[in-house]
Amino acid sequence: MNLERIPNEEKLSLSRRYYLGGFAFLPFLWLVNVLWFFREAFLKPTYTEQPQIKSYVKKSALGLIVWVAVLTTWITIFQHFRAQWGEVGDYLSFTIPLGTA
Amino acid sequence: MVVVVATIKSVSFYTQKDGQQLIYTPFREDTETVGQRALNSMLNAFIMIGVILVMTLVLVVLYKYRCYKVIQAWLFFSNLLLLFFFSLIYLGEVFKTYNVAMDYFTLAVIIWNFGVVGMICIHWKGPLRLQQAYLIMISALMALVFIKYLPEWTAWLILAAISVYDLLAVLCPKGPLRILVETAQERNETIFPALIYSCNVNIPHGVSLSPVVAMAPTAQPEDDGGFTPAWVNQQQHQLGPMQSSEDSRREIQELPSARPPPVEDDEERGVKLGLGDFIFYSMLVGKASATASGDWNTTIACFVAILIGLCLTLLLLAIFKKALPALPISITFGLVFYFATDNLVRPFMDQLAVHQFYI
Repeated sequence: MNLERIPNEEKLSLSRRYYLGGFAFLPFLWLVNVLWFFREAFLKPTYTEQPQIKSYVKKSALGLIVWVAVLTTWITIFQHFRAQWGEVGDYLSFTIPLGTA
Repeated sequence: MVVVVATIKSVSFYTQKDGQQLIYTPFREDTETVGQRALNSMLNAFIMIGVILVMTLVLVVLYKYRCYKVIQAWLFFSNLLLLFFFSLIYLGEVFKTYNVAMDYFTLAVIIWNFGVVGMICIHWKGPLRLQQAYLIMISALMALVFIKYLPEWTAWLILAAISVYDLLAVLCPKGPLRILVETAQERNETIFPALIYSCNVNIPHGVSLSPVVAMAPTAQPEDDGGFTPAWVNQQQHQLGPMQSSEDSRREIQELPSARPPPVEDDEERGVKLGLGDFIFYSMLVGKASATASGDWNTTIACFVAILIGLCLTLLLLAIFKKALPALPISITFGLVFYFATDNLVRPFMDQLAVHQFYI
C-alpha cells in the first residue's frame, strides 16, 4: 500500500496502531513504524496530524532502542556463559553447536 | 529464487533423502526397474494434479457463492502455518549448519516478530516492499519443502504437468481459473492480496490513457481494459502427523488503468503475479542446483531460462491483454535448459577443460 494515497487521518491511525501493537513483544513492528513513517513525520511539510505521527515515531524508536539493548545484552551473556552453565545452558538452547575434535 | 538456491547449497537438510514423502505422493521411487519407477512417478504426478484441481474447484465454488469468510480464514491459517512453523524449522536448520547456539528466548522473540509482522503485512496493511519481501519468503519456504519431500522424477513430472494444467485452466473457457477471474471482474473486486504479488508501478497522473481505452471495446465503466484470468494452484501439504492446509494461488493480472477521470487513478497499476508462479520457478531452480551434475552451469542456465520465459510471458501479456498462464513458457524453457545443460553441455565443458582447449 502506498502512503501517498491515503488520507492523513488514516496515516495517523495506522501509525498509532503500529505503535500500540509493538507493545506485544514486537520490536520489529516498531522498526517498521519508524522506517515507514519517517518521511511522513520529519521530511514533509507540516499538516495537522503530523505532530502526533512524529510523537508515535519517536516513541517507537525509543522502544526499539530499549529492546535492542536488552536483546543484545541477553545474547552476549548467553553466548558467553552457555558452556559454563552446564545443564541450565543446555535446557535453554535450541541448537547446540557441535564440538570440534 | 536466489534465496532457494542459497539455502539448497548451504543447508544439507533439504537435500537429504530421509525417506519421508508427502502423503500425496504415495508411490515410492526407489523401485527395481526403470519402468516401475516411471509408472510410479506418473501416478504421483497425477495424484498431485488431481489434488490441485480439486482444491481449485473448491476455491472457485466458494468464491462464486460468496463464502469470502471461509476463503479468508483458510488463507489466514495456511499463512500462519507457513510463517511460524516452517520458518522455525528453516531457522533451526540454518543454525545447525553454521554451528551457532541459539536459546529459546531469543528464538521465540524472532519467530514471533517475524510471524506477526508477516501476517499484518500480508493480510492487513503494510509497506509494499515489506509485503513483497514476505510473499517471496513464504514462496521460497514452500519451494524448499517441495524440493525436500518430492522424489526426483515426480518433481520433474509435476512441473511439466502443472504447466500443461495451467495452460488449460487459464485459457479454456471452462477453466476454473478463468471462471474465478471473470467472476472477480464482474463483481469489480480484486482478488485476495494474500495470493498475489503485485509490482505496483506509480505512473504520474499526466500520462495519457486513451490508447489503453481504445484497446478495450468492452471495458466496463470502471474497470481495466486488459484483464487476466487467474491460475489457481493449491497444494495440500502434510508433514508427518501434522495436518496442514496450504494453498497458494497464482494469477497474472495486468490492470492498466483505463479510466479517463483522474479521480479514479487510485487504482493499482502494474503487473500482478500469482504466488504459485514463484513457488514453481523456485522449485525448478532449487531442484536444478540440488541434483544437477553440472552444478553451477545448470543452475545458472535454468535461472536465465526462467527469466527469459517470464519476459516473454509479460510481452505476450502486453500484446493480448488477457489473463495468461505464467508457468508454461518459463517452465518449458527451464526444463529444456536443465536437461540439455545437464546432459550435453557439462560433458562438453569437462572435455574442453581436460584438453585445455579454450574457446
